[in-house]
Amino acid sequence: MLEIKDLHAEIGGKEILKGITLSIKAGEIHAVMGPNGAGKSTLSYVLAGRAGYNVTKGTVTYKGEDLLALSPDERAAKGIFLAFQYPVEIPGVASATFLKTAYNAQRKYRGEPEVDAMEFLKLIREKTKELDIKDDMLKRAVNVGFSGGEKKRNEVLQMALLEPDFILLDETDSGLDIDALKIAADGVNKLRSPNRAGLVITHYQRLLDYIVPDFVHVLADGKIVKSGDKTLAYELEEKGYTGMTDTAGSAQSVQL
Amino acid sequence: MKIMTPLADQYLDRFEADLNTLPGGKREAVRRLRKSGLDIFSGLDFPDRKNEAWRFTNLAGLTKGTDAEATVTEEATSIPRDALKTPHVMTFINGRFSASDSRLGDLPEGVSLTSLHAELETGNDDLVKQIKPKSGALVALNTAFMEDGFVLQVAEGVTLDAPVLIDFVSTNEKGRDARHMRNIVLLGAGATLTLLEQHTSRHGHRYFSNPRTDVTLAEGARLNHYKLQDESLAAFHLAELDCEITKGAVYENFSLSLGGKLSRNELTTRIVGAGGLSILNGAYLMRGEQHSDTTTLTRHLVPENDSRQVYKGVLDDSAYGVFQGKIHIAEDAQKVSGDQLSRALLLSDRATVAVKPELEIFADDVKCSHGASSGELDEDALFYLQSRGIDALTARKMLIDAFLTDVINEISNEAVREYFSDIATRWLDKV
Repeated sequence: MLEIKDLHAEIGGKEILKGITLSIKAGEIHAVMGPNGAGKSTLSYVLAGRAGYNVTKGTVTYKGEDLLALSPDERAAKGIFLAFQYPVEIPGVASATFLKTAYNAQRKYRGEPEVDAMEFLKLIREKTKELDIKDDMLKRAVNVGFSGGEKKRNEVLQMALLEPDFILLDETDSGLDIDALKIAADGVNKLRSPNRAGLVITHYQRLLDYIVPDFVHVLADGKIVKSGDKTLAYELEEKGYTGMTDTAGSAQSVQL
Repeated sequence: MKIMTPLADQYLDRFEADLNTLPGGKREAVRRLRKSGLDIFSGLDFPDRKNEAWRFTNLAGLTKGTDAEATVTEEATSIPRDALKTPHVMTFINGRFSASDSRLGDLPEGVSLTSLHAELETGNDDLVKQIKPKSGALVALNTAFMEDGFVLQVAEGVTLDAPVLIDFVSTNEKGRDARHMRNIVLLGAGATLTLLEQHTSRHGHRYFSNPRTDVTLAEGARLNHYKLQDESLAAFHLAELDCEITKGAVYENFSLSLGGKLSRNELTTRIVGAGGLSILNGAYLMRGEQHSDTTTLTRHLVPENDSRQVYKGVLDDSAYGVFQGKIHIAEDAQKVSGDQLSRALLLSDRATVAVKPELEIFADDVKCSHGASSGELDEDALFYLQSRGIDALTARKMLIDAFLTDVINEISNEAVREYFSDIATRWLDKV
């Protein structure tokens, strides 16, 4: 579903990603773990299409298409969803308006009929009920004054509504208590299917107790230095990144 | 002898002849009033940038003399006529009252809406005595050359629910390139009224509009005063307003400015009674080479009263915005609160905003705040919206709309709030 080949990217002239190769098939969840500054967030932003990140070399193919040629909104409409590490507060934009605009924009892009206010309300009510989110959140401005947990819940709500094919979780666990972590993980697990795939980017192993990955990769200094199954995450937890990246330095990346 | 600007010279030259043809030309009281205005103006000339209050707004394009033939090809922004449904409409075309375009029949007892032209010609002396030349150049010029305007008088205790619309329309009429409108609003004790003043143009031509409005609110009166400035993109609009707020009276003003080549909206409120409230809000939306200046002075002259103001500007292309806001609190005016906020959104790196907030406080037991910010659209928010499937342009519009929404929501009259919100959306469609 997603093929990353020798991906190099820089921001402000500084190279952050130094040749990443990763292949994610439908039905798989991959985890990328790494210390601060390894390039984890850069990887998620490059995949989501954020301006300011320059891809200098390499390719990313999504469902057989050149992903890097698409704008962020086109990527979203084609099924890529980035759950933000820090969901952005947008004063003055009501959550309901935001969700409806996004939902209809994606449908329109895909040539599907847009839904009217009544239909949308029905749909979003189902989702909020499922996720145990108070309707009152829909009236509030997007993420404004939300607690950390509420912000993550809002990300999960968006995910549930937009039903993406490829989920990118960018350090979704940061600053979350265990309950909020479970909510986020449940949201992802509900969407898991043979047709979908995901990339979970995280510093800590604990999220992976709830979203169990098929493969784990260690990212250090812009490169994948080690790959394995979920046990690699426990190994990292035990040894820490220093031990891992030191020994991995000579091992190079392990092809799966 | 002082060297005057060419436009000032033109006014001085024609005054003697105009004195006979302008309304009230046969009344000594009116002639004296005009002469006193001209005397003040001739000693001042139009303000230039050496004048501290005009540091950011340069009138040279107006005062170096008019090229009346110069027109811009672009049509002025078209606002649907009659979008605001109200039975009370008074229309002025090119600065003159047009009875046939007005609807004044349904005004209830206790509400009088007349034209200044008629008042100057045949009205009673008391009203004429209310008009003062004052000390500023623009109001003095207005006093010398005032031709028409609206005179709104509301009797004690009278409440009018439907807004009164004053529609100033400009068309490209030969020889009518200046309008010195003089407006008077007098609300009796406890009277309540909503007034919408709109300045629009049917052609993109050049003219000079110099409206002056004096408002007096008796005890406990409330005026919701809204203004839409959508003049021609070649026009100069220099408006002044003075409002006296007595005990328990409330003055709410919201100005939405989108038109004009150069415009200035200067508002002075004087709170002279306990419990008085001055609310000045507004939004200016400018693009191209437009220049917009909002200058406010709020004077708390007695204890125990409040003022607040919020202005928001959206500036695109090479537009230039000015906000100067001063809160003055007199020596004995204790237990007063005054809040002021100015925010500007710059959509282009060529757009500029100049902001000058001032607090002038002589009392010690007061609560005052002021804040000013300017910046670009939030990149994080833009990316967030885009990452959910919303295209870049729509995302930008959503954020600009959100920026404006909270100040537009301050408009307490629902019909006007929706009307202004709709106008702002139309402007946004062209971003």
